[in-house]
Amino acid sequence: MTDLILQSLYSGILQGGLYALIGLGLALVFGTMNVINFAHGELVLLAAYMAYMVEAHLGVNPIFAIPVALVLVCLCSALIYGLLSLVRVDRELNSLILTYGVAVILTNAILFIWSADPHSTGSDWLQGAVVFGPLFSMRGQVLFFIVAVILLAGLWWWLSRSWYGRALRAVSSNRAAAQLMGINPRATEIISFLIAGILASFAGVAIFSYQVIQPASGESLTIKAFIITVLAGMGSIPGVLIGGILLGLAEALTATLGSSAWQELVGMVLFLLVLFFMPNGLFGVKARRG
Amino acid sequence: MRSSKSSALKWLALGVVLYGVVPWLLGDSYVMSLTVAAMVIGGIALAWSLLSNLGGMLSFGHSAFFGVGAYVSALLTMRAGVGVLPAMLMGGVGAVVASVAMLPVLRLRGVYFALAILAYSVIFRVLATQWESVTGGSAGLASIPTFPRVLGMDLASRRGSYLLILTLLILFALVYRYIRASHYGMALRAMHGSEDATRVVGVNSILLKALMLFTSAFMTGVIGAYNAHEINFLNPDYAFDGIWVILPVVAAIFGGYRTITGPVVGAVVVYLVDQLIFKSLIPVGHQLILGALLVAMIIYSPGGLVPLVSKKFFAGASSPRP
Repeated sequence: MTDLILQSLYSGILQGGLYALIGLGLALVFGTMNVINFAHGELVLLAAYMAYMVEAHLGVNPIFAIPVALVLVCLCSALIYGLLSLVRVDRELNSLILTYGVAVILTNAILFIWSADPHSTGSDWLQGAVVFGPLFSMRGQVLFFIVAVILLAGLWWWLSRSWYGRALRAVSSNRAAAQLMGINPRATEIISFLIAGILASFAGVAIFSYQVIQPASGESLTIKAFIITVLAGMGSIPGVLIGGILLGLAEALTATLGSSAWQELVGMVLFLLVLFFMPNGLFGVKARRG
Repeated sequence: MRSSKSSALKWLALGVVLYGVVPWLLGDSYVMSLTVAAMVIGGIALAWSLLSNLGGMLSFGHSAFFGVGAYVSALLTMRAGVGVLPAMLMGGVGAVVASVAMLPVLRLRGVYFALAILAYSVIFRVLATQWESVTGGSAGLASIPTFPRVLGMDLASRRGSYLLILTLLILFALVYRYIRASHYGMALRAMHGSEDATRVVGVNSILLKALMLFTSAFMTGVIGAYNAHEINFLNPDYAFDGIWVILPVVAAIFGGYRTITGPVVGAVVVYLVDQLIFKSLIPVGHQLILGALLVAMIIYSPGGLVPLVSKKFFAGASSPRP
């Protein structure tokens, strides 16, 4: 039993790295534009399907899909930004409905192009076992956990040290003051969308490398990303990583101790509990009550 | 005086068309069953826009109310022998009870509210799947009783079920109109301007929002129950499907969510065009066009198309009013 629990803790942490990648993209855009990009999960899924295409048609390791995914997903992400900047009235709610519309478009486009069949990788290399003592995982899992941590650390460094990174944080903490200091908020907004696209590309390829993908999974990815944003609170990258790992752990433990059918439930319950009892998240500062 | 007389005549004509001409023209055809399905969407769209227009709350989780209403009503008729029509009302009540669990959400701002409601909808779907002894699990419930005969009219026929949903929608629209015109409506309008300022003058804004949530949940629950008895089949993935949110949102935005009739008209137009045209063009993934429509509407005409058109016919009757 302890072995089982240890194993599920281990897989939960690995899964959490992936969740953090997805969550951070959503959180960055939310921070700079105060818009939840409801199509974020679909962007991740799009990258996953790119990985599937590259594997199925070129017969190479899906990791090589990352450049293709980067181009396509960042393009889509920029396009969403372009559409959002056209919204004039009632921005908060209309932006949400707009990205919801984009999510519907992407889900159905994926359904149209690749049909509803689930897909997973056939690469032996990615699915090969990596064993640490009693702990088992697939090579893809470990690889992309490391990639996730490197990306998060790099982004953390960039946000806290570089000029653009600091501009981005300035805009999300006080837009008007940042503008007075000579920061162009539009530039930071588009950068945050592009970074979200980059993170989504890596996350998508990661998902395909050790999980099953299907057109319907985009929405649940968006919800998970939002759960992590809520758990982490605004403006904390280590918070996002911990939030992602918490969600991963909660899901893995539920699957081991209860049944995998309850796995979906636990994230939602965690999300609602944090919203109700810790409205600023575990590490955040901003209020979200009305 | 003359204008109110002529507008009364117009409403009468509309009544004759809806209750007489449409069922006579469409009969028991395929288009009639599509129309009924479109009106189901219209009912949810009406309830959805009541919450977003009057309550100022955007919901992505109305499938929660739809599914709960459907399950409560279906189970009451199948397990407890309750008549179909009273069970449908109880379905609405069941959705209200479900929405009581959501009351903590009312304190949250827009985005958080929208996604918290969605989380509830997922939770209800998982519960409906897992609570097998009552709900029949993922296999679902089959042969749910259909509508009875009322006053010699067989409500189970296509024409009868059309008349039933039409009557439900008209009742809902009247309730909506009554709330909007009442002093609650005025307080809700004031809350749009500034919720804090409204609270300062002594309006219990949380209570008002809760009432709007209950009303919207009740309507959606009754519609869900109607649909369950209409198609006689239910399973969790169907009852809590995201489609019960996507279509009503598109319909409400298309028709104008700040009007009463707009969402219903929008639903009929959007659904029929989707089923008759888009579906034959793109068999799988035809909702792509609906998503594009939603995006285009938000950018170019967030107030909806129907208000623009109907202004010419019903002068002022359905002009946008929060």
